[in-house]
Amino acid sequence: MKRKRWMVAAMVAAGSVTGLAIVQEQQPDTGAAKEQAAEAPAEVAPTGLQPIAFPHDIHTGTYGMDCMYCHFSAERSVDAGIPPVATCVGCHRLIPGAQNPEEVQKVLGFAQRNEPIPWVRIYKIADHAHFPHMRHINAGLTCQQCHGPVETMGAIEQRDPAWQGDNMGWCVSCHVERGASRDCTVCHY
Amino acid sequence: MSEGIKRRDFLKVIGVSGAGAAVTGCSTGDVERLIPYVVPPEDIVPGVATWYTTVCGECPAGCGMWVRTREGRVVKLEGNPAHPISQGALCQRGQASLQGLYNPDRYTGPMLRENGELRPLTWDEAEAMLAERVRGTAGNVLLISGHTGPALSGLLDAFLAGAGGRRVEYEALSEAPLREAARIAFGQDVLPHYDLAAARLIVSFGADFLETWLSPVEYGRAFARATAVTEEGAKGRFVVVTPRLSLTGLNADEWLPIAPGAEAAVALAMAGVIAGSAPDAAGPYGDLLAAYTPEEAARVSGISADRILKLAARFVAEGPSVALGPGVGGHHRNATAANLAALVLNAVAGNVGRTVQLQGWTGQGARPYAELQQALRGMSGAVVMVHGANPAYSLPPASGFREAFQEAAFRVSFASAPDETAALADLILPDLHYLESWGDSNPRPGIYAVQQPVMRPVPMFDGKQTGDVVLSLSTRLGQDLGSATFRDYLRNTWSALPGAGGAAGTPGSDAWWRGVLKTGLLTTGGAAAGDVQGAAAGQVGQAAGVALRTPDSALSFDLPELDGEGNEFTLIVYPSARLYDGRFANRPWLQELPDPVTKLAWHGWVEMHPEAADRLGLRNGDVVRVTSPHGTLEAPVYRYPGLKPDAVAISMGGGHTAMGRFADGNGVNPMVLLPAVVEQPSGALVHTATKVSVEPTGVWMRMATIEGSDDQRDRPIAPAVELAALSAVAGSAGVQAPGTEAEEAHGERMELNLGGGFVPVPTEGRPEDFPLPGSQYGEYAGAHESTPRWAMAIDMEKCTGCSACVVACQAENNVPWVGEEMVAMGRSMAWIRLERYYEHIDAHEAGDLDVRLLPMLCQHCGNAPCEPVCPVFAAYHTPDGLNAQVYNRCVGTRYCANNCPYKVRVFNWYTYTDVPEPMNWQYNPDVTVREGGVMEKCSFCVQRIRDAQNRAALEGGRSVTDGEIVPACQQTCPADAIVFGNIRDPESRVAQVVASERTYRVLDELINTQPAVNYLRKVTFHAVEPEH
Repeated sequence: MKRKRWMVAAMVAAGSVTGLAIVQEQQPDTGAAKEQAAEAPAEVAPTGLQPIAFPHDIHTGTYGMDCMYCHFSAERSVDAGIPPVATCVGCHRLIPGAQNPEEVQKVLGFAQRNEPIPWVRIYKIADHAHFPHMRHINAGLTCQQCHGPVETMGAIEQRDPAWQGDNMGWCVSCHVERGASRDCTVCHY
Repeated sequence: MSEGIKRRDFLKVIGVSGAGAAVTGCSTGDVERLIPYVVPPEDIVPGVATWYTTVCGECPAGCGMWVRTREGRVVKLEGNPAHPISQGALCQRGQASLQGLYNPDRYTGPMLRENGELRPLTWDEAEAMLAERVRGTAGNVLLISGHTGPALSGLLDAFLAGAGGRRVEYEALSEAPLREAARIAFGQDVLPHYDLAAARLIVSFGADFLETWLSPVEYGRAFARATAVTEEGAKGRFVVVTPRLSLTGLNADEWLPIAPGAEAAVALAMAGVIAGSAPDAAGPYGDLLAAYTPEEAARVSGISADRILKLAARFVAEGPSVALGPGVGGHHRNATAANLAALVLNAVAGNVGRTVQLQGWTGQGARPYAELQQALRGMSGAVVMVHGANPAYSLPPASGFREAFQEAAFRVSFASAPDETAALADLILPDLHYLESWGDSNPRPGIYAVQQPVMRPVPMFDGKQTGDVVLSLSTRLGQDLGSATFRDYLRNTWSALPGAGGAAGTPGSDAWWRGVLKTGLLTTGGAAAGDVQGAAAGQVGQAAGVALRTPDSALSFDLPELDGEGNEFTLIVYPSARLYDGRFANRPWLQELPDPVTKLAWHGWVEMHPEAADRLGLRNGDVVRVTSPHGTLEAPVYRYPGLKPDAVAISMGGGHTAMGRFADGNGVNPMVLLPAVVEQPSGALVHTATKVSVEPTGVWMRMATIEGSDDQRDRPIAPAVELAALSAVAGSAGVQAPGTEAEEAHGERMELNLGGGFVPVPTEGRPEDFPLPGSQYGEYAGAHESTPRWAMAIDMEKCTGCSACVVACQAENNVPWVGEEMVAMGRSMAWIRLERYYEHIDAHEAGDLDVRLLPMLCQHCGNAPCEPVCPVFAAYHTPDGLNAQVYNRCVGTRYCANNCPYKVRVFNWYTYTDVPEPMNWQYNPDVTVREGGVMEKCSFCVQRIRDAQNRAALEGGRSVTDGEIVPACQQTCPADAIVFGNIRDPESRVAQVVASERTYRVLDELINTQPAVNYLRKVTFHAVEPEH
């Protein structure tokens, strides 16, 4: 154990490992690793961080809107797309929002000021991994398989537990189940 | 690891510590924002590239471009395949335009110099101030402009006509002597265009047509076609007659190392020999040719008369031939005469109308330097504006430009980024970069290309297009030039073009304009009605031959006069293949690109023949003081065997003092050594003008080179094959070219087995054999049937060593530059290295020249030495045959690089990617930006492979077609030397190219690496030494 602890310190001190793989074992079995993990600040954004408390549950759950109405490029691009303010206003010019009209007013405010809405990014994979949305959508996956039951969530401010950050094992297990390629350069290049 | 720590535990520890380090690095409390559009642009889908056509504005050649943008930012430039000049390729300088666009030193807005300090102004203030000054001088306005497109030229001239001013066009690299020679010889005031592809014998008297001369991309493509081996086994020959071998010279089959300035004597002697049988062909030049006998030429040039006779005989027998006069590097006091002699040689051999077309380039002004020199005298008290030129740097100090400019009443610069001329200006009105602005180009009659803004101007730089500034200025001065914006002016000009009907729709309509912008091009078929110059020139060009005219000015065809008589060395100053005339010195990609000839980066050097250097006791890197009657400079010696022993050569482009952080202090400016002599009668600046002395200073510096050795040391790295030994020529399959399959066969080889130990595997080691049967690569069982094997073929017969691929790769793959100190330490990070080996090079005697140029990149070995030594499986092989490097696994042991026999793996010692804003805007979002501590190398542009596969999957799951995946190096290659594809498909182009008998794989037969990169041997006319 002491030997391992020393190695961790040495590797961190060497400073040459920043930006490396962050492929954690699911159950770190060394004390040193637990200490390191405990020191890490929570990666989730605090509640109320989003500029507008956008209720995914009302839009997709109650009204059954298709995810790709707003995330318009998910089936044709690597990026799913963040809806332009114009998309929000398209409906909310007429719909005042029964449950929290003050949030809808904020949207209209952004539109009037010609400002983009500075959403806080919640879902992000590491820069050294590439996730082409369109390949997954076209393979018949639902958004929820990765993003969790979004249709039951309010403002998205926490990562779904299934996602677990940069958990490559979670990606790979699905690739194995579905017979998709497990080659590294499918995602890492 | 015997004390209980297993390899897997070790990995866990590394993984966790990596996470810890990463978290500390990121826990700044910031949150990342997702900023959507307010209103989405119609043509942008996030994550999908949008392409625009435009035209390269970097040099007068006018190559057409396709520009790749992502989310509104330009990330990559490629050649437009529909454009007749670039034909899909781009040069290294065109590729590096991105660093002009995103240069962090660009001016942030209009500025006024007060007491030596620059004060920001608003555009309104600045334009009002300039209008006031122009009004105040009552027409004493001078505009010095570099080459501009026809629309902007027209606008500038219209404005100046109204304001009572005048314009002088000044391009530092001017082909005025060639133009003047064409006027004297044929009465046509045009720069000729040469059809190199049609020629079977090309004789260059120094024109560096693969680097800077007229149109390097077009001529690079044509040259590769001319010298490629045909199916019948024929091949064009290339002979250079020059005192110094440029990169173009290194591609020659034969070198006649003449005394500097002896081009005319040799060309006239050749013409005399040819005309000997038909004296009428020489027209009024008969007497002149009679005076230059081969013996006389031999005396002047130092080449034996036999050689000259032989070359003259070939010039007719091996036709169609073409002779090219000296380029800028060969401009001496008799440069017009030398160019005229080459044109006479062409005329006598019947080449005019065949390989020499008198429908020329419109690129360069008529009397570029002479006019400027004249204008200098009238600068006092004038408003002097400078656009697209940097005379304070590119003219010799002896020209007096700086002094005359200081005398001007008001100095204005339109430079978008700092340069030496802008540093002297009172008012700076930064132009937009050509990728942000409107314009057009008309490189040759009949070819018009439109330049459109491909992104919104980079917001931190408040530039304004000079065309718009001029329009605003003219309004303030009460003129009406008919358009409110330069875009409208351009569109109006274009709808009136004679070939406007060539695009769909009514000329001038919106639909028509959209069509024009989409193709970026209007071709009016060479000589359309109304295009007066084109029509006239076209007719002349089509005529079988043009009669030579009596020279109307006194010309000397003898050796030119040189200053500094008594000094030992003739100084040759030549344009840089990287930095051109110095205008690209603020692009770190080009600074770090090793010079294609000397392989040196960043700093300057003085080329000396090894014999001369030995006599002075000079090694590579010994700093010498070079002194001419006009100035002195210090630079390290580079021993170059491609130069006459009585000459030294220095490249243009270095030694900047006010061009921003990447340019200043790097290299030397040879202009300080030159007098300001005007060549007569062309008016060009003389570059070979003086003799110099060279003294050692006793200082030595470590040179920033990527070269390990210029000698192959008997290893078959870049072998060649004699033309006569090719089976098409030898006429039977019985003649075995060296190194064909039979010789290279591996038979049975021991393969490293992942399960431990070695297993015997039968193999010929061909790329399509991967993975070898019996090798235990887990998932790869059955990969033969289901997956492609990506492979590449590089034809050494076509490759000219121009290095465009190196810069294209840097742009595509986010490869960082590392700086002079790091390059000197061997830490250059380029993924492609252009190697150069001398086989035969002799500066004393005319004879065969044999220099091998080889692009070295990751060979993607089937049996890769880097893979088994990686402790963390960061280097491994993919089922489709790529030697992959997983950056997030790499822990930086560098074992792989140590074990790579090709030295193609580069280690990121420090995180070089932390570049100043907005240079990071250029990064390709499809490729990971690597950090320090990670090994990297050529990936075969795996992102392009995955992109094509993704696209194919979306389009109904079709398979990827051959030619759909084009790596960045192949895309930009002017010589078309690189082919990429699936070698397992026998129909693919790469498989067919690799089937050539010239194919070999570097070092494969020695160390059994089984590379996926296949080279095709260079073909020589002379016998080559057998391979060892």
